Amino acid sequence: MSAKKLFYTIPYAVWLALFVIVPLILLVFQALTNQSGHFTFDNFAAYLSSGTYLRMTINSVLYAFLITAITLLISYPTAYFLTQLKHHSFWILIIILPTWINLLLKAYAFIGLLSKDGTVNSFIQLLGAAPQQLLFTNASFILVSSYIEIPFMILPIYNALTEIDPNLIQASRDLGANSWTTLKKVIFPLSLSGVKTGIQAVFIPSLSLFMITRLIGGNRVITLGTAIEEHFLSTQNWHMGSTIGVVLVLAMFITMYLTRDNKKKGGRR
Amino acid sequence: MKVFKPQNIFLAVVFVILYLPIIYLIVYSFNKGEYMTGWGGFSFKHYGELFSDNRMIEIVIDTMIVAFLSSLIATIIGTIGAFWVYQSKNKPANSLLYLNSVLMVSPDVIIGASFLILFTAVGISLGFTSVLLSHIAFSIPIVVLMVLPKLKEMPRTLVEASADLGATNYQTLSNVIIPYIQPGIAAGFFMALTYSLDDFAVTFFVTGNGFSTIAVEIYSRARQGISLEINALSTMMFIVSLILVAVYYFISNNNSKKTRGAR
Amino acid sequence: MSQPIIELKNVSLNYNDVRVLHNVDMEIEQGKFYTLLGPSGSGKSTILSLISGRLFPTEGDVFIDGKNVSNLPANKRQVNTVFQNYNLFPNMNVYENVAYGPNLKKLPKARVDELVKQMLSLVRLDEFIDREISELSGGQQQRVAIARALANEPKVLLLDEPLSALDYKLRKEMQYELREIQQRLGITFIFVTHDQEEALAMSDWIFVMQDGRIEQNGTPVDIYDEPINHFVADFIGEANIVDGVMKEDYLVNFAGKDFKNVDAGMRPNERVEVVIRPEDLDIVAPAKGKLQVTIDDQSFRGDFYEITAIDDYGNEWAVQETNPAKIGQRRGLNFDPEDIHIMRLAETEEEFDARIESYED
Repeated sequence: MSAKKLFYTIPYAVWLALFVIVPLILLVFQALTNQSGHFTFDNFAAYLSSGTYLRMTINSVLYAFLITAITLLISYPTAYFLTQLKHHSFWILIIILPTWINLLLKAYAFIGLLSKDGTVNSFIQLLGAAPQQLLFTNASFILVSSYIEIPFMILPIYNALTEIDPNLIQASRDLGANSWTTLKKVIFPLSLSGVKTGIQAVFIPSLSLFMITRLIGGNRVITLGTAIEEHFLSTQNWHMGSTIGVVLVLAMFITMYLTRDNKKKGGRR
Repeated sequence: MKVFKPQNIFLAVVFVILYLPIIYLIVYSFNKGEYMTGWGGFSFKHYGELFSDNRMIEIVIDTMIVAFLSSLIATIIGTIGAFWVYQSKNKPANSLLYLNSVLMVSPDVIIGASFLILFTAVGISLGFTSVLLSHIAFSIPIVVLMVLPKLKEMPRTLVEASADLGATNYQTLSNVIIPYIQPGIAAGFFMALTYSLDDFAVTFFVTGNGFSTIAVEIYSRARQGISLEINALSTMMFIVSLILVAVYYFISNNNSKKTRGAR
Repeated sequence: MSQPIIELKNVSLNYNDVRVLHNVDMEIEQGKFYTLLGPSGSGKSTILSLISGRLFPTEGDVFIDGKNVSNLPANKRQVNTVFQNYNLFPNMNVYENVAYGPNLKKLPKARVDELVKQMLSLVRLDEFIDREISELSGGQQQRVAIARALANEPKVLLLDEPLSALDYKLRKEMQYELREIQQRLGITFIFVTHDQEEALAMSDWIFVMQDGRIEQNGTPVDIYDEPINHFVADFIGEANIVDGVMKEDYLVNFAGKDFKNVDAGMRPNERVEVVIRPEDLDIVAPAKGKLQVTIDDQSFRGDFYEITAIDDYGNEWAVQETNPAKIGQRRGLNFDPEDIHIMRLAETEEEFDARIESYED
């Protein structure tokens, strides 16, 4: 019995300990020590007193917020209209398909599209305007990030929408509501769990996507993720990198707390 | 007539936006010219470049080996883990499930950075081993999440019936339980495979000694500018993705049909 | 007769090119309790959907209050539905569910409050006003669903098998309550069920349906006593149905003998089906019986014994008796001429009504 139990326990428990708990402890430990290994709050003090870090953090949150908002604005109607289609399970597959393509490739495609002599600029010139600097702007960063995140927002909303009992929509119509009121009062509230999951799935990565900032946003440090990458791989200041990492983890928990599913309502079936 | 409802036009626009960059990449992989603008005529020359690029071929093979090995090992450990979570009814096991999902919700940079600290602290040299270990590590939770629902949905009476008919624990496991949860295991394996193939950030942090995967290589080349060889590679990867998606949906469809039949 | 509140005129419906409703005519009057009764797939719920506006007729027209509403969507019709699975909105509590319709009509808040309280007290759920739907039992959810539909003050309330998910005792209770609510409010109820007992107990008027057609409609007593055909006789209550020949008016032959009866208007020597209800048969001494039978089987049913007897021609007779019989015993069966009901083969409802009128009164 106990041998059996050990067999079940050991591989997974070792993984949990070594790759989930220990790395997090190490990250916090790095954040709380200095170069000579002494315990210190200096990293956090430096982070909190530095205008650059704070501005970068606020910017990162702001960008993530914008990306999430744009994605949501496009994704909710898309998911809703999808559920109205006859073969919607096929069409959602088509929506998810691009997520199976490495996001580096998608970012790379945008380099071609947006570069100075790229396709979009050729098109602009065709219309008689001067070519624009499109790549390495904040707008291009937001555009490409939103593009990449859209399927991750559509999918949970779509799932939540298809889980709604169609009879409820009939009941709403029966009680005198038109389509718009039904959407507002019944469908949207019932799909809120999907919206929350979608926000989690988009907001958290948007704080940390460093490759897009590097490739599309220009070589500027504008997200928490870029800052971490820079400290770990360029300036080799792991202590400061870990400090920003802890901030990112905190941001993640706050996001998850704010978008948690409050079980009080919507307890269906 | 009904096809041209405004909502369908909206959907069409979204589909076009989602696919435009991908189609754009694929189309230009057949361009005779060297840039993603200006069509110089149809040509396979960038595929020629790709196939004669020994470093790229080596990287593709390395990527496949890492993906396959990590998925396999993650599937084994994850399935065992799912059994563990399933069997332990007490509360601590439930909080284990929260721990399980930590790596699923953590941003890639955090996983990458903390693994980098870990490997350095333990003294594992950065390269194939560290990349493989990382891929196994971040694939395990998805396998658990794919297998666990199958275990939970399995009727307890099935196991009891098997025992009642005189099967040993091992026979019950191999003849009853494993076949029942097998679709979940397969789905977990394929998810792990795509996780591995899709990863860039974690690998970027923990790799070294010239070891590279396709994503990392594309990143470093893309930073230097356009090379249509990458387009050719994209096309190949797109086709592989299509095959993987087809296989995955075949598995999960089969799977849901079976459960529907069983109910 | 005043103008019907709902009228279906020659309504047919195709669903995926399959005709599920055939030329249905129906008139519903104000203030009565109607039941659509039939086995599953007979089209009874389809008729509700046509009245409420969830489905639209392929042919024919639907009128509400004299207005043709055939193509009017559900939200524009003054009828409301109580659904089989209640369909309460899980994101709203009891109050919000009941207030949904009145709020849509932009009634003043005080009026909405009043309506909600009134309807909840009608279904005896006053104290549950602030509860979440997930906290209610099935029976309570059903009551909320009724209150929610009634709060819209519909002219007609449609009830789509609303009691089928409840257990036996609760169902009985709700049957009584629904009938009472209908009488108190004086609005029309159209109730769909496959349970003939439920239909007989609650209705003023029953439509019996099969295969997308109305087989017969009438008061519960009419339908029970004078079923038009084999299907109706068999579906409503228990019936002994045997083949017979109508020798002349008021004389029928079955089980090898001639019997006086009260039916007329058929051709001489027409082949017919003869219906006698089990409770109309009495077991008597063999010599005193009109038919001689052998007791084959019996089972105790609580308030009576269900006895199966076989006559000399092999016909099986179900009999309900308060006293037990002895299996294998030779006994007689007795019945009155009025207990014999004759059904012509393939007679339509119009022909049936016309024939009855020709010799009755």
